[in-house]
Amino acid sequence: MRTEILEKIKEKYGSRATDSSFECGLYSRDLGPVPGLLVNPLFNTTPDLVVRPSHAEEVAEILRTAYGSGIPVTPRAGASTVYFDSVPIKGGIVMDVNLLRGIVELDEEGMTVKVRSATTWSELEGYLNRKGLACKSYPSSAPAATVGGWLCMMGYGLGSLKYGSMLSQIKSIEVVLPAGEIRTLTSETEPSLDWFAGSEGTLGVVTEVEIEVRRLTAMEHFMLLLADESELLNVMQAFMNASVTPYNLHFADQHCLRAMDKLGFGLEGVDSGCTLGIDYEGTKEELEQARKTVEAITSENEKVTRLEDEVAELEWDGRFKALKLKRGGPGVLGAEVWLPVKELAGYLAEVQTMGPKYHVDLFSYGHVVTPEYITVMTTFYADETRTIPYIINLSLVKKIQDVGYRHGGCPYGVGLWNTPYLNRIYESARLAELRKRKQQLDPKGLMNPGKVYRPPFLMQPLTYGLGMDVMAGVQKLVGRGGSR
Amino acid sequence: MTERNSFFTTLENEALICGRCGCCRSSCPVYKIIGWESAAPRGKISLAKEAFAKGDKSALSDEFVKRVAQCTLCGACASECATCIDTRSLWLELRKRIAGLGKQPAAYDAIRETLLANKNISNFENDERLEWAEDLDEPEVVEPRAGAEVGYFVGCVSSFFPQAAQIPLDMVEILTEAEVDFTTMGADEWCCGFPLISTGFQAEADQFIKHNVEKIKEMDIHTLITGCASCYHVWKHDYQEELGDYQLEILHNTEYLARLVKEGRLELNELEEVVAYHDPCDLGRNSGIYEAPREIIAAIPGVKMVELYHNRADSLCCGGGGNLQSVDAELAEQIAQLRVEEVNASGATILVSACQQCEQMLSTAVRKAELPVRVMDISQLVLEAL
Repeated sequence: MRTEILEKIKEKYGSRATDSSFECGLYSRDLGPVPGLLVNPLFNTTPDLVVRPSHAEEVAEILRTAYGSGIPVTPRAGASTVYFDSVPIKGGIVMDVNLLRGIVELDEEGMTVKVRSATTWSELEGYLNRKGLACKSYPSSAPAATVGGWLCMMGYGLGSLKYGSMLSQIKSIEVVLPAGEIRTLTSETEPSLDWFAGSEGTLGVVTEVEIEVRRLTAMEHFMLLLADESELLNVMQAFMNASVTPYNLHFADQHCLRAMDKLGFGLEGVDSGCTLGIDYEGTKEELEQARKTVEAITSENEKVTRLEDEVAELEWDGRFKALKLKRGGPGVLGAEVWLPVKELAGYLAEVQTMGPKYHVDLFSYGHVVTPEYITVMTTFYADETRTIPYIINLSLVKKIQDVGYRHGGCPYGVGLWNTPYLNRIYESARLAELRKRKQQLDPKGLMNPGKVYRPPFLMQPLTYGLGMDVMAGVQKLVGRGGSR
Repeated sequence: MTERNSFFTTLENEALICGRCGCCRSSCPVYKIIGWESAAPRGKISLAKEAFAKGDKSALSDEFVKRVAQCTLCGACASECATCIDTRSLWLELRKRIAGLGKQPAAYDAIRETLLANKNISNFENDERLEWAEDLDEPEVVEPRAGAEVGYFVGCVSSFFPQAAQIPLDMVEILTEAEVDFTTMGADEWCCGFPLISTGFQAEADQFIKHNVEKIKEMDIHTLITGCASCYHVWKHDYQEELGDYQLEILHNTEYLARLVKEGRLELNELEEVVAYHDPCDLGRNSGIYEAPREIIAAIPGVKMVELYHNRADSLCCGGGGNLQSVDAELAEQIAQLRVEEVNASGATILVSACQQCEQMLSTAVRKAELPVRVMDISQLVLEAL
């Protein structure tokens, strides 16, 4: 029955559907560098069919058919996360939604744009900039990440500090629910559009998003060098408390800077310390005020040096290329932590003591995304060509998350791999509410199954934690991480 | 002029460095048309990693080889790469490895055989390199001679394909008007080697490079100009080792013409046209030359210059690069069509490029789209303004 249904979909969508093992194999991965030796015994990550619908009605038709036949569907757009959000774990259909791209309508008076969900943030920003407009915020993976995809993740990134989360900017979305119903949702509807923020493709397929835009304004970029991380928090908070809110506030620790320098990406005139980047956008008056703020903060503090404007501009130009750190690996593992800003100094201090214990260099960088929270990426080199040491290295990802947890943090995003941390990410009442929503919209559990709501059997927090801790112990005793 | 730095190490290492982030995906013209993950640069690199870095030879399937050939080498993916992989070098190395294993597409063998037999990419003998000059009033002006101030490396397409023959004719008229002491290499000009490099036959390409450098030295040429963006790129990058200490200034026609305009050796008259410039990948993104052609266009009184939606480093490929036509002509045409949609939206009456392959691809696509737009090489625009 299942085979026949898949065959029918394949026939109907012709060149936009495939079950070839050559193609399907490529849909069994995202950025997550998890070895097949770990994945394959536990999950069926190869789809039985990949199909590429071109509009909401086709999405609806495929979902209706799949839902009626009990076939799991995993939506996939940019596939630019590391948590297997867009990788199937029970086979079935992968719905590649990348044909749903382009601008639907720009309302310059209302300052909103309606955009098809698989349009990338860079494409949207490019379109808006030509009209004298801009996105209020976008992810640091803007060239790859899609508008719908970012909504389905948490939606915090560059610009969020000033303009709030992506959810706060959305007026409406068009979504196809798991059983194939097409709905337009707002904050007033039932369900509300906010159900889909952070739903990670488990509640349906978002096909259109109507989002606020802003006027394109001039920008000013500043880069400060601090002797070490101890002063970072104070300076960061001084900028957050100033009268002009930065568009983007980001840091890189001394280990990260050193690694970049080694790779030939070092900042001109910097051979030690950590950096704080501050980017402003706004009116001439706001930028003037911003400049005064920078001057005041730096002149008051002798531990802070302001780098050349050119350095700051180069850093801004390279804002989508943090991954270049990977050139030193060539493999890299890490954890992204949603951390209270006030805990940053403590977190970094503990991370820096953790590295030597486990024989790895840990590099941290991050963006302040709300007045209270910062997303911090802490990474280390690992050699994926040496499978067993690499698997042992994976245990350090948990150790980093444990440090974050001790400082009030949790993983940023869930997908599959962070399900063991669900109790850290959500309070129990919130998790119960999310599960209730899932049950209401997808009672058969066919929409992107295995993600977000419950850890798989072998990834229950207790067993997973124990296993990871044992491996980390091995790493501590005999292990060697790092690049080749 | 700004050119991307290359951090390329080895195929194996770069394939491992790729983070599969997909920043390359949206800018890739081939992925835009095909749409499957296997057509995206990250998909191909992922398979290259399996085949070469992890030694899984089963990954080296015919489907994979086909996808590797379905690439225009436009370099857009390299500009976007978040890990700074010089993907253009990676694709070339990949094609070299595939050819080394004898798994290259049959069309590549045909290119290789033609080049080895004729020393050019056409079916004509190389002795006929100056056939195009028969349309000149004084064909003898292009006869090779040693010691000229400028050597004009015409390129195979302009030399042998009637559609592109207007380019050298126009260049000769312009150079004559500017009283430049120039010459050509005549039958001693062999293909620059790019078609061999881009199909994976580097050793064979090296013979062509060696020959051309020897002849340039023999002719005592110290300034070389060419109107072909790929010839230019190859001369600038792949010829350097063979040139050694020999002093040779290598300029694209656009750079040289911009110089002549600046020096007042060309007087440009008014043209009432709306002109859009298409940046050829090998001249713009891959060589960093964006301003010279724009300076020439801007120097023509009366011309209103408009930019295409994607321009300069973000320019869209015409579809004609990387020998794509030889393995998938339909795909190449579809890519050209994407560019022509932008031409249509720009309101241009003239679309100018600086590469005969771009001109050919875009002319065909404009004709097919029935647009009232003339497509021409920059030399033709300059000549119209003289």
